[in-house]
Amino acid sequence: MASTGLDRRQFLKSSALAGGMLLSINLPMFRIANANTKASSDWCIYVEIKPDNSVVMASPVMDMGQHMKTTGPMMLADEMDLDWDKISFAEHCPAYLNKSEEGEIGYQYSDMGTGGSHAVRRNWDYMRTAGATARQMMIDQAAELWRVNPESLSTKASYVVHSATGKKLSYGYLAKGAATKKVDKSRIKLKQTKDYVIMGRDTYTVDLEQIVTGKPLFGIDAEYPGALQVMILRAPAQGASVDKANKEAALAIPGVIKLMDIEAQNEEYWTKDEKQIVSAGIAVVAESLWAAMQGKRALSASWKPSKAHQDQSSEHQQAKFRHLVAGDFEAKVRKNDGDVQAAFSQANRLIDETYETPLFAHACMEPFNCIADIREKDATIIVGHQFPHMVAEEVEKNTGIDALSVEVISQRMGGGFGRRFERDFLREAIYLSHTLKQPVKITWTREDEIERDFFAPAYVMRVKASLDENNKVTGWHHRQAQTRGGARDDCFPAKLVKNYKTEHFEYPSKIPTGPWRGPAHLQWTFAVESMTDELAYQANEDPLAFRFKLMQPHQAHDYEGWGAESIDSGRMAKCYESAAKMAKWGRKLSKNHGLGIAGHFTFGSYAAFVIEVSVSEQNELTLLDAWGAIDCGFAINPNHIRNQMEGGFIDGLNAALFNKVTVEKGQAVNNNFHTLRWMKMKESPNNIQVDIIQNNFPPTGVGEPPTAPAAAALANAIYAASGQRIRQLPLSDSIRI
Amino acid sequence: MSIEFKLNGQSVRVKASEKDMPLLWFIRENAGLKGTKFGCGIGQCGACTVHMNGEAVRSCSITVAQVKDTNIRTIEGLAKQSGELHPVQQAWMQVDVPQCGYCQAGQIMAASAMLSKNPSPSDKDIDSQMTNICRCGTYVRIRQAIKIAADNLAKEVV
Repeated sequence: MASTGLDRRQFLKSSALAGGMLLSINLPMFRIANANTKASSDWCIYVEIKPDNSVVMASPVMDMGQHMKTTGPMMLADEMDLDWDKISFAEHCPAYLNKSEEGEIGYQYSDMGTGGSHAVRRNWDYMRTAGATARQMMIDQAAELWRVNPESLSTKASYVVHSATGKKLSYGYLAKGAATKKVDKSRIKLKQTKDYVIMGRDTYTVDLEQIVTGKPLFGIDAEYPGALQVMILRAPAQGASVDKANKEAALAIPGVIKLMDIEAQNEEYWTKDEKQIVSAGIAVVAESLWAAMQGKRALSASWKPSKAHQDQSSEHQQAKFRHLVAGDFEAKVRKNDGDVQAAFSQANRLIDETYETPLFAHACMEPFNCIADIREKDATIIVGHQFPHMVAEEVEKNTGIDALSVEVISQRMGGGFGRRFERDFLREAIYLSHTLKQPVKITWTREDEIERDFFAPAYVMRVKASLDENNKVTGWHHRQAQTRGGARDDCFPAKLVKNYKTEHFEYPSKIPTGPWRGPAHLQWTFAVESMTDELAYQANEDPLAFRFKLMQPHQAHDYEGWGAESIDSGRMAKCYESAAKMAKWGRKLSKNHGLGIAGHFTFGSYAAFVIEVSVSEQNELTLLDAWGAIDCGFAINPNHIRNQMEGGFIDGLNAALFNKVTVEKGQAVNNNFHTLRWMKMKESPNNIQVDIIQNNFPPTGVGEPPTAPAAAALANAIYAASGQRIRQLPLSDSIRI
Repeated sequence: MSIEFKLNGQSVRVKASEKDMPLLWFIRENAGLKGTKFGCGIGQCGACTVHMNGEAVRSCSITVAQVKDTNIRTIEGLAKQSGELHPVQQAWMQVDVPQCGYCQAGQIMAASAMLSKNPSPSDKDIDSQMTNICRCGTYVRIRQAIKIAADNLAKEVV
């Protein structure tokens, strides 16, 4: 029998709860050294079927606003033919981990990580197969009881039905016997799209009522018996250390138990940089959070700046980037198709412009927090983190406790955006609990969150492009400078422009950076889609028609970048077309109004937006309505796809308009929302109409794709309304809003 | 002298020594009501919005001493005693507003306070009075939900 046979993938276990049945689907793909059994009485990807036919289930992937806590169960429930209305959803999602022989920590069952818009892609086959397998087990059990051929049975809304006699049995009744059934792989039939009853329909957030009634779902809300409350006074600047602190005053605050010095921890980052993963500071350990906060304030510390960080300034860095891309310096060549120089020398028109984006903050709405209980041989961590396996890994690395002895309880996250991929807030809590030999809960402030952010890298991108006498784009040269992170040069116009060259300078920097929602995609799109617009106007062609021409011939090309296998200009064109159609592109607009369009491909999904703006004679910008079209393959939950399209686009507009962190001498100067302006209701579009392109491609993500086109769409709309071409973010430096 | 005020209809007492504690932390840590959220600590983001005598206030930026003898209502106290959700909560569910959900309690408290004063707000009113930050950008749905809630509140009056 094939080792990947589904009969080997599955086992059903009896739940301890009132005769209910617990289903877990086990994949043999990883060699399991020592399965973590600690959490097995809780729920994760498991489906518990109770005798009354009600069901408890949960998503393998925790929610951070990307709606996976709803989407994950939908995939399994549909294939299993569960009655969606009879399902209740578990709040917590313990991590089920395993370890390869090489010691690498992974997921025992489904992939529980979330990032790169991969949660749907990576769980699609797994979750459906799990559901279809369980469904077949129910059928086999009913067939045995009724002594009929399983082929004569069907399932509907948590029942097995024998249509010849009209008999039916509930899953709740069948579950116990079904637990012993083995199903051969050959008998697992996945549904066709037309047979879905849960997927493809508007489905509501599973935690909706808990959210609107303020239930404690988030990490910051979690409590743990005996946990000491900790606030850490962190060095506000990179590399700084404590000079003086009034420790007596802090210790005199009632409830303050102890102060602990935290040493800075650095680790190698990227190729030649060092990244400070934990900054120096003083931890105030207290009986209550309020005592810890007061203690922190009473320290009134002064800081010794780090000499090595004195020259770290975002403005200085940006000036260097400009200098690099403007000059003849040799850069690292990334792609070089055809011959751009030849194309430029034969050009009818040549445009050469430079686009800039600053450091973006993540500003996750929920400041970081972590509960750690590090015991002698095992540990419990309660936290909202995008990658639960990294939490266990971090415990092992810092304490020597086997990662498989770590219970990781994932909480709902108040935003992630790539920042909850980092481990600094884990490491602090682990260190403190390990040292104190007591459970602790650490809570960050907003200032901590921004000062210690791993920002989206800043970019300066110079784009040179040529048109021939027919206004066809013949050459494209993208030359950029940034700190870390690359260019999304596998995305369009790659493959569309014959002579295509990209290169970059990597500039050493101590300003920390990390993944930010669709890393490098928004920045790339700002340059590419602004330039495409500039070319269209140069050619005296309609920007939409110009894009349609650029997308010809419609073709799927191999994609060499991360997160997809192919990129299809026809699918992209369709998104432009749909967004433009909704916006009634080409209509007569009011005076000082303009429409801007931009589209992009992010991690397998295509999105295009049109936005209408007005720019007054006083250079005052107003965002009006927006229209967005997305092709994310089969639309599992149209309601949440629309929600992501609205919110993701607004996040991109915020990045375009306001999101800029200024670093001086290694310190983020604007460290809270009074100085880091953030988009509010009054600046946001009133309406965003969304179209989901219908097709049968496998589903791809929607968390990041709507963000990328926003900055270019807005800059293009401002140009259309006012004739003002802004090539530098944030746009609000150049226009009033 | 202790400080007294009403929290969701119940009298609570705070030791005078804790008079400088921001209301937010009293609500979350002492009263154990976690629906009111910490977002910025400086009254900018509105995640901590509660009602003080029916007005929306940012609980991170007022002290316990400042709410002496007032009625404080949090998200946990917004639904009717019967458990029936407030029309604003119902509208939020009807539209399925949230993404991460962290700011939504504050948004709902801000919206319900606004509607109690101005039962049919224009888009301009919504723009000027809904100043809470939603990091996920659910503003389009928040606006829709406010309009639905306004309609439903109008029906209740009739």
